[in-house]
Amino acid sequence: MSEIVRIDGLGYAYPPIDLDGRREWVLRDINLEIHAGEFVSIMGATGVGKTTLCLALNGIVPNSTGGTIRGDVYIDGLNTKRHPVSDLAQHVGVVFQEPETQLFNVSVEAEIAFGLESLGLPAIEIGERITWALSVVGMTEFRQRSPFKLSGGQKQRVAIASILAMAPKILVLDEPTASLDPVGKTEVFSIVRELRQKHGITIVMVEHESERIAEFSDRVIVLGNGTVQMASSPADVFSKVNEMRTLGLSIPQVSELADRLNRTNNTEYVFTQLEEAYSELTGSGNLVRRISG
Amino acid sequence: MSKSVCLETRELKFSYPDGPTALHGISLDVKRGDFVAVIGQNGSGKTTLAKHFNGLLRPDAGKVCLFGEDIASRNVSQLAQDVGYVFQNPDHQIFSATVREEIDFGPRNLGCSNDKVDRRTEEAIEYFGLGNFADCQPAVLGFGLRRKVSIAAVYAMKTPVLILDEPTSGLDLKSTNELMAVISELHRLEHTIILITHDMRVVAEYVPHCMVMRGGEILAHDETREIFKNSELLLETQIAVPQISELGNRMTPYGMPDDVLTVPEFADEYSRILSGLEEGKKSADRR
Amino acid sequence: MPIVVDLYSQRQSWVHRIDPRVKLLFVASSLLLLLLIKNVYIMLIGLVLIHLLHWSAHIPRERFMFVWKTLLPVSLIMFSMWVIFYPTGEPIAELWIVQITAIGLAQGLVLGLRILTMAFVVFAWLYTTDHPSLVRSLVKLKIPLEWGLILSLALRYIPTFQSMYAVISEAQQARGLNLSEKKGYRRVRAMMPIFVAMVISSLRASDQLAKALESRAFGASGVQRTNLHEIEFRRLDYVFTAIILGTISALLFLHLRFGIGTHPVNLMG
Repeated sequence: MSEIVRIDGLGYAYPPIDLDGRREWVLRDINLEIHAGEFVSIMGATGVGKTTLCLALNGIVPNSTGGTIRGDVYIDGLNTKRHPVSDLAQHVGVVFQEPETQLFNVSVEAEIAFGLESLGLPAIEIGERITWALSVVGMTEFRQRSPFKLSGGQKQRVAIASILAMAPKILVLDEPTASLDPVGKTEVFSIVRELRQKHGITIVMVEHESERIAEFSDRVIVLGNGTVQMASSPADVFSKVNEMRTLGLSIPQVSELADRLNRTNNTEYVFTQLEEAYSELTGSGNLVRRISG
Repeated sequence: MSKSVCLETRELKFSYPDGPTALHGISLDVKRGDFVAVIGQNGSGKTTLAKHFNGLLRPDAGKVCLFGEDIASRNVSQLAQDVGYVFQNPDHQIFSATVREEIDFGPRNLGCSNDKVDRRTEEAIEYFGLGNFADCQPAVLGFGLRRKVSIAAVYAMKTPVLILDEPTSGLDLKSTNELMAVISELHRLEHTIILITHDMRVVAEYVPHCMVMRGGEILAHDETREIFKNSELLLETQIAVPQISELGNRMTPYGMPDDVLTVPEFADEYSRILSGLEEGKKSADRR
Repeated sequence: MPIVVDLYSQRQSWVHRIDPRVKLLFVASSLLLLLLIKNVYIMLIGLVLIHLLHWSAHIPRERFMFVWKTLLPVSLIMFSMWVIFYPTGEPIAELWIVQITAIGLAQGLVLGLRILTMAFVVFAWLYTTDHPSLVRSLVKLKIPLEWGLILSLALRYIPTFQSMYAVISEAQQARGLNLSEKKGYRRVRAMMPIFVAMVISSLRASDQLAKALESRAFGASGVQRTNLHEIEFRRLDYVFTAIILGTISALLFLHLRFGIGTHPVNLMG
């Protein structure tokens, strides 16, 4: 397995707001490697720099935001400081949190076509890619509709499709479900999972929902204080209850339960998902099933 | 002594100008000092209903009463004396040069004396931990802080009724817990609080009462515990209870109660079951 | 009254099939002619003709009525102002201190009808051309892509700003902002919390939009931007171009050489 994303000692400070303002380093020293086909979730408190990190992955930081950068980010072998955002856009795509401001065309078709037109692809290929992208996100019937009138979940699916059509190897999603209702969240999560399983796309997803993270991720990266605090499997990260609490981050409720039971009953439970918890708590033979069926 | 009714609607019907009926003849009452979560899918009418409580929307039929009086004759800014509404997006409110000015906007509009305005503003700043940011420009603060500012700004109006539309969406765990602690404190101080939310964990851990909506109707209005027990209702309205409650429900055949709301509760119940079984085994061994 | 969300309405008609550049030519030349015409009968004919065009393009009734509803007050004001303040020629009636003349009436009508007709001409173009084609036609006419995109984005974001205004207005009123009693200048001042919040929100939104555009490789240097629906001149378009240019030349000739349409009431000079 090769590394498709490599971040070496990344530090970044936005340009100061006032003329005499000091530089504030949002990211201080990020070191990270992500392998092709991995599903990586990024967790961190509000304001810790998750969005900045996402933007660093497609070159908007620092090419468009200015500021001061140190260290390097390599996307598919390309150094983000040496390639324009439009080049990097063919390798990595970013889906943002707000559907309203990342959809700006009058029809779903035009929306998906936009990125492909920017790349100068011939019209026939554009049409084919639109058809494919719509089928992947399950929005084929919405081709001619106005994005304005769709539900939150549908809008995000269109946003994903419009990035997907550009065939990036890496898909970065910055809190894609934050402004969605539970139905919308489920829609988006299931598509993202499919993208990884069926299409082998590397996924980097910033999220708060620890329970979904536990379900989907190969690895969880925890940011804090401008650096990577933890980078490990969900089981490992979510068992470090105290550290996560100090960082102000949530863990799946079943993981909380595991920790609590371990402390009081001297057990060694490690579960991060509901099914695991259920089978471990009921299957160990120390409970008696009273009601049959 | 029963609590007096604070908010009441009778056969409230409403449709948006270009749409189908949004509220189908809703009759409800919220008692003074209640803390109610309004839950349901998007489009079920939660926000539409809430906007009737402060006059932003007016019923097509039926009436809305506040403290026993019909609010039809009072306009929105008059009702702002009694009903505070915090919108979901803090950026829809923020416009001032400093956090302090943003917070004193509300009390000023309500016609408070300068002294009172200052007092309330300082109190709100302290209450929400905004002391370090009081002279900063709110628009450039981080999202969590902007959220706090928007809620502090409505809090400073000291309204007996407070409506919050998804106040925890987009916040991390720590900020969510901080915020809910403040809101719970407000409830303890006898404010009537209506919380529209999708976050079922927050509802389970902090909100004693629940109103479930679907398709412009209220399907249930009861204690949170009772609502969480009603698995049919939850299935019908596609509401997902917190993970720990779901685990609890799955394990009811093993003696788990069907209304587990929090992790500590579950752990306690589980330990209770285990020790019960231990006892049973011991007495069986003795025989 | 809300502006229609998407000006373009998808229909099958000959007008829809014409290349947008031809429609643009039509708009430019019609507007020029309308500015030159001063004769009330010719102006009326023009108004009727443009109505016929809208009808044969199957433009929905509500879009059509939108133009009438928005511009009728303006037209009436212009008409009345002219009639009251610029009477020329023989008076035919007198109202209080105002003299009403036949010529004045005709001139006033021309003014009022002109603005209506010009609006209908422009909307005939906007209602029958979808945004991508519109932008594409401007680009093909050598207008930089960014300008076309700005136009397209501006049109697309109108409803967004409308709903933004509505929500922000609600939020501020819920904080006790009282708009009902104030009028005129004081009302505008009272609305500052709404305007400022809108500006801040818009700035934030445009920043996010810029990032979204860049993430979709917008502005890739060295790459020729393509178009999903390429627009190309077809035989019909050449025919129409010829018709439009021919008619314009003929009408201009008649106007300049024989003075047709120069006088408000008389057909010739």
